[in-house]
Amino acid sequence: MALISAMYPVAEQVGASRIVKAVAIPHPCGDPSLPAELDGQLRREIVSTALKALETKVDTTTVFTPKVGADG
Amino acid sequence: MIRVVHILNQFFAGVGGEEKADTPVAVVSGAVGAARGLQAQLAERGQVVGTIYFGDNYFHEHKDDALAVILTKLEQLRPDVVVAGPAFNAGRYGLACVEICQTVSERLGLRCVTGMEPENPGAGVYRDYHNDKVFLLPTSETAAGMARALTAMAPFACRLADREEIGPAAKEGYLPRGMRRLVRVDRTGADRAIDMLLAKVAGKPFATEIPMEVWDKVEPAAPLADSAAANLAVICTGGVVPWGNPDGFKTYRNTFWRKYNFAELKALEPGKWEAVHGGYNVAFMNQNPHYGMPLDALRALEAEGKIGRGKLYPAYYVIPGNQGSPAVMRRVGQEISADLKKDGVDGVLLVAT
Repeated sequence: MALISAMYPVAEQVGASRIVKAVAIPHPCGDPSLPAELDGQLRREIVSTALKALETKVDTTTVFTPKVGADG
Repeated sequence: MIRVVHILNQFFAGVGGEEKADTPVAVVSGAVGAARGLQAQLAERGQVVGTIYFGDNYFHEHKDDALAVILTKLEQLRPDVVVAGPAFNAGRYGLACVEICQTVSERLGLRCVTGMEPENPGAGVYRDYHNDKVFLLPTSETAAGMARALTAMAPFACRLADREEIGPAAKEGYLPRGMRRLVRVDRTGADRAIDMLLAKVAGKPFATEIPMEVWDKVEPAAPLADSAAANLAVICTGGVVPWGNPDGFKTYRNTFWRKYNFAELKALEPGKWEAVHGGYNVAFMNQNPHYGMPLDALRALEAEGKIGRGKLYPAYYVIPGNQGSPAVMRRVGQEISADLKKDGVDGVLLVAT
């Protein structure tokens, strides 16, 4: 399981295995201040990072950070 | 003499085993079954004025009725204290003991003592109740520890009946309830903290005044060889549900989960979905449910072949996570895992807030 959460320090503290850094608590998968297209790309990147996390061997709590473009 | 009522399941009342698990609530005058052992321990100090018992299944399948009957019987028996269990590692019985103590203390104002193994699911619920009238004494896993358990529970019950002040868990031996009591001490927090720090640096023992919650340690699952070939599912604790909240989720402390089908959908249309959650501002998710349940991104990845065709589970799971009690969430997690395994899901994305 990959946990997508903006409260990733809490997820780390309680020992979740695969954590994906999300944007913010009220909108983890995306950023409403972005134009719709970039917002969609950001969301796709977050979910894609979660898929990569599932494919990655981890031994302990690991945080995966989605790649966010200079304008995103 | 102290009046005690002992609460037992059908097994410890001597009625029968699993075949009698549907036995309704019954009351017997005086002590029967394990209550005889309790009576022996109470000796001259107290009297078991009644034994109330019920089948393990009956209680959980008719909980409201069972609790109502138990309250009525207790009003008639007028005990000074209620003893439930010991339940050892029996899950149904342990949970029943804790639920009964909770209701009895709330409704009748009685103090209660129960006993069970600390790993019994009832012990988790007890911790979550933070009830200052209920005390759970740890026991062994099996009924081999009956005599020892009753030896501890009987004098404890007498102290409760005598309205004695009970000290902190670490001193008195009951399981901690996560409650903090105000006490007057001679030295300031700064002094005490420095003492602790010095003890720690010197490698000497010290006791924290603010114990942290201890979390389960979960071993990381093995990685998926290829996520494009895996069966995937999504869980949402942000609380995105169909508009109108058909299953009546609350904004906090939910106790059940649901799954909602999205097999035919390419995206979650605003106005057809809403976020139910009392822990953050839901306005963004109501405008765009994908912030909490990213179906559009999942479909895009499906189109690119990064998620296999037909590999995404046709429904997503949801429970708004706000203020969820660890014990309830553990159960919910176990139930969802069982459902995922039954349907052959290999990997899960959990979108939290």
